[in-house]
Amino acid sequence: MSTDVPETKAASSGASPEAPGFHFRRLWSWRPVSDRQAGDAVVSNFLLHWFPAKANRVSLSWSYSFWLGTVSAALLLLLVVSGLPLLFLYIPSVERAYASVKDIEYVVTFGSWIRAVHRISAHLMVVAVALHLVRVFLTGAYKNALGGGQKRPWNWVLGVAMLVSTLFLSFTGYLLPWDQLAFWAVTVGTNIASSVPAIGPAIRELLIGGRAIEQPTLIRFYVLHVLFLPGLLGVLFAYHMWRVRKDGGLASADRSALTARRVEQPPSKTKTYTLLGVARGTAPRIRAATLESGEETVNSVSDLTRRAAIVVLGTIALVGILAVFVRSPLEEPANPLITPNPAKAPWYFLWLQEIVTDTTIHLGGITINGAFIGGVVLPGLLITLLIAWPWLDRSPAGATGLWFARTRLRQNLVFLAIVVVILALTVVGTFLRGPYWHFYWPWQPWPELPSKI
Amino acid sequence: MEKRSTSPFPGKDRPLLAVVGVALVVSTALFAWSDRKHDWRWYQYDFRRQVTEKLGADRAKAVPRGVQQIWVPELRRADRCITCHQAILFKGFESAENPYRTHPAAILKNHPIEKYGCSSCHGGQGWAIDVAAAHAPAEHWEEPLLGSELGAAYSLVDDKKALLQMNCNVCHRFDRETPGAGAINLAKGLVKEKGCRACHVINGRGGTIGPDLTYVGDKAPEQYEYGRLSGQKSAFAWHVAHFKDPRALVPETVMPNFHFSTKEAQSLAMLALSWRRAPVPADYRPGVPRTDPLTQQEIADEAAMKNGPGAWFVKTGCFVCHSVSALGVRSPAQIGPDLSTAVEDVQARFGRTVDDFLAAPTGTMAVVLSRQIVLTPAEKAVAVSKLREAFAEHQKQKGAEPLDPAAGEKKP
Amino acid sequence: MKEKGDRRDFLWKLGIGSGVAALGAQTIASMRSLVPNVSYDAPTTVKVGMPNDFPDGLKFLPDERLFVFRQGNTFHAVSAVCTHLGCTVRAEALPQPETKVVAGQSLRLTHRFLCPCHGSKYAGDGTNVSGPAPKPLTWYHLSVALDDGQLVVDLARPVERDFRLTVA
Repeated sequence: MSTDVPETKAASSGASPEAPGFHFRRLWSWRPVSDRQAGDAVVSNFLLHWFPAKANRVSLSWSYSFWLGTVSAALLLLLVVSGLPLLFLYIPSVERAYASVKDIEYVVTFGSWIRAVHRISAHLMVVAVALHLVRVFLTGAYKNALGGGQKRPWNWVLGVAMLVSTLFLSFTGYLLPWDQLAFWAVTVGTNIASSVPAIGPAIRELLIGGRAIEQPTLIRFYVLHVLFLPGLLGVLFAYHMWRVRKDGGLASADRSALTARRVEQPPSKTKTYTLLGVARGTAPRIRAATLESGEETVNSVSDLTRRAAIVVLGTIALVGILAVFVRSPLEEPANPLITPNPAKAPWYFLWLQEIVTDTTIHLGGITINGAFIGGVVLPGLLITLLIAWPWLDRSPAGATGLWFARTRLRQNLVFLAIVVVILALTVVGTFLRGPYWHFYWPWQPWPELPSKI
Repeated sequence: MEKRSTSPFPGKDRPLLAVVGVALVVSTALFAWSDRKHDWRWYQYDFRRQVTEKLGADRAKAVPRGVQQIWVPELRRADRCITCHQAILFKGFESAENPYRTHPAAILKNHPIEKYGCSSCHGGQGWAIDVAAAHAPAEHWEEPLLGSELGAAYSLVDDKKALLQMNCNVCHRFDRETPGAGAINLAKGLVKEKGCRACHVINGRGGTIGPDLTYVGDKAPEQYEYGRLSGQKSAFAWHVAHFKDPRALVPETVMPNFHFSTKEAQSLAMLALSWRRAPVPADYRPGVPRTDPLTQQEIADEAAMKNGPGAWFVKTGCFVCHSVSALGVRSPAQIGPDLSTAVEDVQARFGRTVDDFLAAPTGTMAVVLSRQIVLTPAEKAVAVSKLREAFAEHQKQKGAEPLDPAAGEKKP
Repeated sequence: MKEKGDRRDFLWKLGIGSGVAALGAQTIASMRSLVPNVSYDAPTTVKVGMPNDFPDGLKFLPDERLFVFRQGNTFHAVSAVCTHLGCTVRAEALPQPETKVVAGQSLRLTHRFLCPCHGSKYAGDGTNVSGPAPKPLTWYHLSVALDDGQLVVDLARPVERDFRLTVA
């Protein structure tokens, strides 16, 4: 039993605990002086109640998870908080949307900063959730190592759903300013949807609210963006966190259980009563092993909360500083008559734009539009594979929660290869495609684009 | 003593958390700075200083502070130029340097700023409050400020500020000649003189040999062929070059070379680019009739009534409801009875004399005489005498009037 | 040993405390974004026409909800907005014009005002004489525009009832 002299913070009114009278005991504290107080903090505080009283030490490791999930959550929080003033300032009408965004940029006090926070958080969140997915895959953390009611594969599916929701939030979000990027990106996106055989055009009409991209489209995307998708993401997030708790924490914590040394508890002194009096000695011994010993776990309050605070506050500070220097662009007002040249999707969809370019197939007399293959089939296939993988994975339980476990090497390599291909396509789309989607090396100048005057 | 576990984390994490705290403070400082650093704050401070020097501290206090905006709902423009250009309506800064220069007053007489804003004439990005973004071209804002700088860049002959006239012509498009728009007027004259309409549809009519030019100003710059154009690649430059030598730009063209001078070609290019689809409210179009015009007959009648014996009834407005046929006054509405017989009718209907009735009217007349046509007692006396006059005239006319045979045999 | 711990403790608290305080300040300051800096309302100083367009007596301006009174070269403006609940009052000519001393100056009254909504009655100088209206009708500041000589009413600047604008 480890004893440590508690730093005198709470408790001491000077009197020793054995003295008679009332002793003030703080119920809980951000810096608890004992394990009991640490546990009370988690139980008595609404914001902290979802943490376990004790957390596995390995889970706290920076280099295991990089805390990417927490970063994503912090960015989601920033998006909601920065979105609230924008809700008051933006006008979702095709005549006024652009002007309202210009107002936010120029005349609203701190408007351009709030908008930059919102945009930077959105871009970083796509990065963070993608990296989080990569990390979870590479560590095999979608596997159940211990069984007994664990449902990590299902949590992984929830995560994939959250990734798709994040991408949809981005998609609906950047339509709102009603500038050239918005208008043409939605044109392309909804045309991809309409390339699905049979039901495609109906899907497109449902998304757009008609045939042409007009006010009904804007209001649908607006309501999706501010109400339904954040609501969905919030529900999925809560479910995801609850599932993490139910599954016993991060997958690396499972490893502790698998490799736990059974530490025999020392015999405990007891009293026992015989028929004729009190006999002192030792009680029947229970040979117990426990994971709850001090070597494996730490108090959530304040070790886990402190790290969480570092990550969350650090993310907020970083985004706040970046938002002062990184301007949010706004292209020319939406013009259905003129397509910008080149018309590029935001970077996280450029890989899609690239494969949509390259996958139009001519088979004999039949031509299949690249929109369908590259825009629906390939991404659909990827997502289906992602969702199904935990059940297709045949690696042993020992590979759970371990970076680059040897028994999962092949699947990790294939996964990484796909990620690298997607990244490469993104790089090509960002830096190597110019007007008319022609290929330009970085040192090749783009043709001068003419202006009106 | 309660159990307390040891942990290696506090030692490692607390310094890190402290660093994050510092980063948050830095973030807040930068955040506050980002609001203070705008150009306009300096320009407003400088202008106040100049006003204090020139016109005294009292006037300087009246100069508004903060972002200023002119909102023109009809044109859907919000122009913030006056945030820096605060001297626009200030008398006394006519020879100052921009942005502290007073706007030339003549044009503002019929183009007041509240009705037109700034950017509808001058171009640029009215939404912006930073110099670079406002004096476009800026990133993603292609409507540049049509000022002398741009004019100099295009080596405009004579008037470097002429580019502004492109925007004049968006509203003044159907004028034959617009005072103050010399280049545009020159170009319009050339269009008439050279017969452009023979081959091109212009303003809805013309030939079909060449392309329809009615909205050529809307044509996207990318849709022009720049292969044979040297120098700046812009729609304006293309037009100037094209006017000067069509075949050099488009070898297969049948458009003749009119040997325009540079000044003429530039004016014509300005005219072409001004032909845009810009929804202009009717209020803003010159020459639009503001009322349904009177026919010649109606004009003649009105002149006659105003100068005839019944002129008093016209001047006061009685004729709006009442004809006074005996005096040649015809009411457009004829709501009330003919006043020629008022002297008799009032007695018959109300049992009172006309004087009495006018002094204390009842019914509709009470309302009219208290709100719309308020007559002093002196004026009421004149009314009574005029009514008697009308009645006398009516009697005379009735007496002298030849019998209408169709009305039946009524012999006096 | 304890001292070093105390100092470290203090520095730690200072670091994270000021950080959180800064974050809080930033969040609250961001609320400033909801206070409009520019107005999309109609401007409050409105040009209402040349002085000679106004007859002796009163002229009602429906867009500005204003009565402009003229007597010779002297003008004053009375709001037509009823002080009860904001309906536009109507002017009714008095059978005989009256002269009243209002705010120390004499004023020739040719009309009184009646509100159609709840029956408030006002005297010609705007005083509320009966009905639910709690306050007299507001008088607004008149001036002459420097550039074109039009009358300018400042609907954001109420004035006392001794205000007169004399036009040259």
